[in-house]
Amino acid sequence: MPLSAIRTVAKPQNGVGAFILQCKKLSFHYCDWAGSSRGMNAFIKSSLPDFAKRNPQIEISVSPRPNRHPVIIGQYINGREKAICVRRLTNEQVRQKAELLRDASGEKNKRVTKPVTSVNESVRGIWSPFHGAKIQI
Amino acid sequence: MKRLRISRCASQLLAHQPAPRRLSCPCAPALQRHTTPHNHRIQSRFQSTLVIPNELGREELLVEELDGTTDSTSTPQAEQRESPSPLPSAAQRSAKLYALRSRLSLRQGFPLETLARTLVHPSADPDPAFNNASLSILGSNLLGYYTTEHLLCNYPRLPMSVVFAAQFAYIGPKALATIASEWGIEAAAAPGAEVDPGLLQFKRLRSGDSVPEVLRRQVPWNWNVTTTNRILKSDAFGSSSAPPSPHELSGIPVPIEEAAQSFVQALIGALHLHLGSPLVKRFFRDHFLSRHLDLSTLFDFRTPTRDLSRLCAREGFEAPVARLISETGRLSRHPVFVVGVYSGKDKLGEGAGSSLDEARIRAAAAALKGWYLYRPLEVTVPSSTEGALDTSAWKPNMIDCGEVIV
Repeated sequence: MPLSAIRTVAKPQNGVGAFILQCKKLSFHYCDWAGSSRGMNAFIKSSLPDFAKRNPQIEISVSPRPNRHPVIIGQYINGREKAICVRRLTNEQVRQKAELLRDASGEKNKRVTKPVTSVNESVRGIWSPFHGAKIQI
Repeated sequence: MKRLRISRCASQLLAHQPAPRRLSCPCAPALQRHTTPHNHRIQSRFQSTLVIPNELGREELLVEELDGTTDSTSTPQAEQRESPSPLPSAAQRSAKLYALRSRLSLRQGFPLETLARTLVHPSADPDPAFNNASLSILGSNLLGYYTTEHLLCNYPRLPMSVVFAAQFAYIGPKALATIASEWGIEAAAAPGAEVDPGLLQFKRLRSGDSVPEVLRRQVPWNWNVTTTNRILKSDAFGSSSAPPSPHELSGIPVPIEEAAQSFVQALIGALHLHLGSPLVKRFFRDHFLSRHLDLSTLFDFRTPTRDLSRLCAREGFEAPVARLISETGRLSRHPVFVVGVYSGKDKLGEGAGSSLDEARIRAAAAALKGWYLYRPLEVTVPSSTEGALDTSAWKPNMIDCGEVIV
């Protein structure tokens, strides 16, 4: 065989063609009795239906968790989970936390030192000492 | 869809228990009141008495579940019977399915019942009316068609083995399983009627068990496999033996990759049936072709210098000559040579290496890649003219005489 081929798998580029939201599921846990759940309960009653309607990609479950602080748990496509305790937060603050979880990628937080990375070759090419005009000293 | 269900529902009612169940059909009260013979629904009932009753008795189940929204008393009876996979009616209540449909940006018109059916592998449910075997056969053919036409029209000079490898990279079993996991598909621990229909249903291999006989490597089609043989007789990846048909896998425990792959294929098939080919093509472009694959990394040359000289002889170019462009540190520990391959005055390729031979071979490989990866500027794929009456937009594609044969 003069030529054989190497088998690989094409790499995903989320957002280049289709965009898949990485947050798969949000579960809201509340307590009926405790005061720390007041904002969460208000959020579930007033804003959650609207939030769910605006984000149909996310499966939403609401369940009581008596005698505990309220918590929002997000599950992500990469298999990880993120939980935020929303005790004593207001309706609006709970909504912000839910949106934070919705927009998260599910990865651990990392410091970004190089903000732009690319799989494509640079158009300009890599500098080579063997090409171009010779420097006369 | 709705009309079809109603007629089916009526036929099953007649075939099984005519008198008591007729009331449970949504159109039954109306029918009993006005027994006009011209009503087309009644006619469909009379016609459909010949329908063979399903051995699993699940058609009847389907009926009861369908009108379960109006008549809640029939549901306990339905739950008593065994069904290997979730009932179609459970799809409307599944939050996971609804979220999956939105996540893939499918239209609201795409029925959740069909989406649920694409998630049922034949190993979970042997009934072909409820599993995804038929849809996955259709889907795998469509995927193969769209990928092949994309590759062959955009890269007309690609060698056949590289075409096969590129197909494998886009729609191979591994790629499809990865795509399914990137779509957030979760697998059910075990299939069953009570499981959420948004989970992938298949019979799992128990840990320690070997892969079943059907999935293992089989006797090849032909012992002396040639490239022509691969193109004509094998699957899209040029493999030497046939993959198992989805219908053969019914009831057999399979690895999760197999089930995930069949889901993606079945989804493509179902999209084709429900939304039509333009939307499937768009879906394919967004989810499959948008993935990054550098075709130049797929080549693995054995003797690129010989291939290049054969290519130049075939195309009538002057014989290729390697010339040193620049060098540094010839007597040092890290020499670098930059060699160009020239045919007459044209430079075909250039490569750098730590020995003269390495640089020459790299230059020849670069020249060959430059030839094979030629890409026409304007391309019309054959499927773009599907169903169109006006064929003036069609431009014939370039067809190359093929790779170098040494």
